[in-house]
Formats: sequence, C-alpha cells, structure tokens
Amino acid sequence: MATGFFTDATLCIGCKACEVACKQWNELPSDGFEFTGNSYDNTSQLSGTTWRHVDFVERESIDESGITASWSMLSDVCKHCTNAGCLEACPTGAIVRNEFGSVFVQPDICNGCGYCVVSCPFGVIDLIEAVGNGDDAGKYALATLHEDRLNDRKTAVQATGGVAGKCTLCYDRQRIGMVPACAKACPTESIQFGEIEELRERAKHRVETLLERGVDARLYGADDVGGGIGALNAFFLLTDSPEAYNLPVEPVLPSTRQAMGYAAAAAAALALATVGWAIFRGDGTDA
Amino acid sequence: MKSYYDRPLLKGPHWGSNVVTYLFLGGIMGGLGLISLLSDDRPEPEMKKLRKATRYTAFALAAINPPILISHLGRPERFLNMLRIVKFKSPMSLGVWGLVLYSGAAGANALRELADDGVVPRMLRFVAPSATVPIQALLGAFMAGYTGVLISATAIPLWAAGKRHIPAFSVCSGAASASALATLLSTLQGNHDVIPRLERLEMAAAALEIALVADFRKRGGAVTAPLFEGRVGKRLRDFTIIGGIVVPFALNAIGGAFKLPKSIDALRSIAASTLTLVGGYVLRESLIEAGKLSANDPHVAFRQPS
Ligand code: SF4
Ligand code: SF4
Repeated sequence: MATGFFTDATLCIGCKACEVACKQWNELPSDGFEFTGNSYDNTSQLSGTTWRHVDFVERESIDESGITASWSMLSDVCKHCTNAGCLEACPTGAIVRNEFGSVFVQPDICNGCGYCVVSCPFGVIDLIEAVGNGDDAGKYALATLHEDRLNDRKTAVQATGGVAGKCTLCYDRQRIGMVPACAKACPTESIQFGEIEELRERAKHRVETLLERGVDARLYGADDVGGGIGALNAFFLLTDSPEAYNLPVEPVLPSTRQAMGYAAAAAAALALATVGWAIFRGDGTDA
Repeated sequence: MKSYYDRPLLKGPHWGSNVVTYLFLGGIMGGLGLISLLSDDRPEPEMKKLRKATRYTAFALAAINPPILISHLGRPERFLNMLRIVKFKSPMSLGVWGLVLYSGAAGANALRELADDGVVPRMLRFVAPSATVPIQALLGAFMAGYTGVLISATAIPLWAAGKRHIPAFSVCSGAASASALATLLSTLQGNHDVIPRLERLEMAAAALEIALVADFRKRGGAVTAPLFEGRVGKRLRDFTIIGGIVVPFALNAIGGAFKLPKSIDALRSIAASTLTLVGGYVLRESLIEAGKLSANDPHVAFRQPS
C-alpha cells in the first residue's frame, strides 16, 4: 500500500505551518535569512534542509473592470516519483523505496557523492552541509535548535551532515501510524495525506467541482508526468501552468539517456582504436 | 515567458576541481589503455619502451585517482559504501567498479613489465596473464567514456542535450591527452622514434574531438550557450578549441611534414603535448562549470531534453 500527498493550491492560505512543522519534527536548521522581495516567499526553494516550501505566485490581469491581482499559494515537496531519478542515480544504494512506496535516503549509508542532486528532474534533493560541527556551527541561524540541545545530543542533521537530504514523507511518523507533520499542521487540508489511490480519486473529484465553479484547475502528477517518470506519489492541484510554480512542464527521467551515451562512447572508442591500429601496427610486420 | 521569479528550477552540481581532475585523469587512463594495447608485443625497441612507459604510468594514475575521487565526497570515510552494490542504472556505480577493475588490469600489466625488467621475481609474470592487456584497453575505453555518460544522464539541460556528443568527445579528449602524455614521457626517455606515431594518434583524436564539439554547438541550440558563450565559453575557446586542439594539431602536422632540427623538433613536440593536456583539463572544467550555469536557468529546464 503506497501512501502520498495531495497538495491543493486552491486551499493553501500561505501560512507556512507546513514548513515550520517539517523543520521542527525533522530538526532541520534554517537555511539562513535572505529577504528576496519575491512576494512573501523568503525561503525560495526546497533544499537539503527545507523539505516543504510554499510558493507565492502573484498574478495580475487587466480587463475593462480594472486590474485584478490574485495570489496562488502552493506547498511544494519531494514528488516521491514512481521512477525516481535520485534513486536510480545513487551509487551507494542509500536511496531506497520503503514499505510506504516513498523514496527514502538512508542517512547512514549516503556518502555525499552528490550524484542524486543533479539527477532529480524537479530540483528537490540537495546536499546538507555538515552543520553544527566545529567551525561551521555559527554559520547557520539555528531557528529550531537551542544551544544546549546542540551540545547535549546530536540532532538528526548534525548526525548526517555531508549527506543528501529531502522529504522522507515522515517515514518515522508513518511507522508508528502518525500522519506526516506537514499534513497534520496544515489548517485548511490543502495538504492531504493518505493512500495514493484514494487521494487520486479525491483529486479528480475536486478538479471536476472546481471546473464547474469556473476555476482553472488542473492536476500535476496524479497521472503519468511523461519522460519515463510515471505518476508522482506527491501530486498537486494547480490553478496556473506548472512553470508558475517552478515545476517542469516536460520532466525527463535522466537514466533514459544512458544507452545512447554508452553507444556514442563505444563508437568513438572503436573509431580511434581502428585508426590507432593502422598507425601503430598497420605496416604489415605484425609480430 | 512564465517562471517562478526566475528562480532556478534545478540544483546544480557541487563538484569542484577535484572532480574535474578525476575526470581528466580518468580520460588519460583510458587513452593509456589503448596505447598499451597498440604497442603490445612488438619487436621494435621503441615500441617496447613505449609499452613499459604507458603501463607504469597507467598504474600510477590508477593509484592516485581514487583518493582524488574520495576527496570530493561529503563523507569520505564512507567511500566503500559505493562497493556495497553494483547498479547498472547508475553510471556513478558502474564507474567506480570500472575504476576498481581497471586498476586491477593496469596493476597486472605493470607487474608483468616489472617482472620482465627483473625488479620483481620473474615468477610473478604468471600471476599476470597477457589477456589483461586487451582487458585494460576495454576498461580504459569505458573509463574515458563513462564520465560523459554520467553527466549526460542527469537533469542538467546542457549535459542532457549532449547525450550523443559529450560521451564521444570525452573519449577523444582522453585519447589525445594520453598520447600527449606519452609523447612527453618518450621525450624525457629519449625514445624519439616512437613520437611520430603518437602524434598521429593525437591528431586523429583531436580531429574527431573538434568535429564533435562543433556539431554539439551547432545542434544543441540555446541549451549549449553556457558552454560556448560568456566566461566559460571564452576559456573553452582559448584553452581547448584553439590552444588545446587547433594549435597542437598544426604543430604536430608541421612535425610530420618537415624534417626540423632535432632540438627545435623536441621543443615543438613538448609544446604541442603540453597544450593538448591543458586543453583536455579545461574541457572537463568547462563542462562542469557550464553545467552549474545551465542549472540556474529555469527556462531551459521546464522542457527537459529527451
Ligand atoms: S522529486 Fe526528485 S528527490 Fe523526489 S523522488 Fe523524485 S527524483 Fe527523487
Ligand atoms: S549523495 Fe548520497 S544519496 Fe545522493 S547519490 Fe550520493 S550516496 Fe546516494
């Protein structure tokens, strides 16, 4: 039985409770403070230590009634892809699919090679710097960690610095029958957690209702997103095109390019070997 | 064009000069495997000298490249976790295994030469059967090419768009750099008779390389801009295209066509080889740096190359 998230942009009020709940539960430090000027979004992106991120999409339309401005907010997260680029790329086997169908990074196996980072078509997973260790400690504004706790015991991130990080779909909570922290904290049920099939049903129904009401609603990732990736276990309901939420329109599973790559390398090697043979041994005096 | 405040969609590589060095030396190891095969079992004394030089050098590189690879890891002490599994879908996994096996074959070939030279007991010759020569060449071709596959099989648009070109010109660059290194070593050893052959091999590799790079630029369109334009593009043009391919090719052609005085010819050959090696390094460096720039442009990442 696979579980996942259905995140609905029409219900999100942009409160960022999910971002905070995720940071708290997973003991993730702040990524530092940067005032971006991009609407109310100052966390900007998912990172190795930010596993939920709320997009603030500002839109303006001009017609005879004047200018109307609207917001669309959406809480972005790891998609827990059916065919996951990160999982396929990982050379240590640190990234696995767990019993809930989620893509999980085992922090004690990962050696921080960084190959998963460039292999995610959605730009989700990233390396976590070694935080809280020695000289690095002061580099981070530790929003959720008290000094004494830092010294007392190793937090999750301290223990795993130098490795890759992303949403675990609250593997630890799911194992004891709890709902993931973000979904639990969401006050509007914009983030819904549940069995994936049931969520898909619910999402399709929701889109129908919204379309009837004249809302431009569409699903992203409830069905196959193409490019060999398949459906997403964390999928979304959008009211704008995917680019507006920094989601790819045509994502591609990177491993699909390997066969061509090896063939091209082999052809070049064969060509050079043939020429080399003629140059070095083509004089007929082969021993 | 719509985007999310022009924020990058993708995460770029965290790789720096240690990874660039690893890719560069990996290419040379690959080319040395080929030269070791080409010079194998030949009666001419200059070929024998070349054979030994390539085998010792390949083994030396096989010894220094793993620490360089390990140094880029976030948790270097966990390097061995890469040897927990063999994963055919991960070029990073296959590459590490390729490196391990290549080192074995290169070690066997170096050992056989040492036994021939009487440095180690002759008996040890039997531990290293001569089949390891073609095996090292095959694994070498893999070593030179897999790094190209590794970067093409990612989400970075520039690299992804190069799935046909990057692996192929990586192999060429590796072969050219290996020929250049072998030329330098032969010059040092006074093994001048073998140099014309090495230079011809280098010219062949360089010719194919530049054709592939040019074709990548022509077909790749806007996605290839980070590699061919701006700061990275200028460096690539100066040090690889012109300095690392065109100039050494011309120098080698001159060496092949005219009989120059010995000392001038040696200078010519040293210059050509050095420039080729610098060009090979800058090619890998440019690929990585341009990959970082490519990751920062959301517009090319919204529709990813197939
Ligand atoms: S969205 Fe990226 S990090 Fe998440 S499972 Fe898919 S490939 Fe992996
Ligand atoms: S950084 Fe860690 S999780 Fe990512 S590919 Fe490397 S070993 Fe796997």
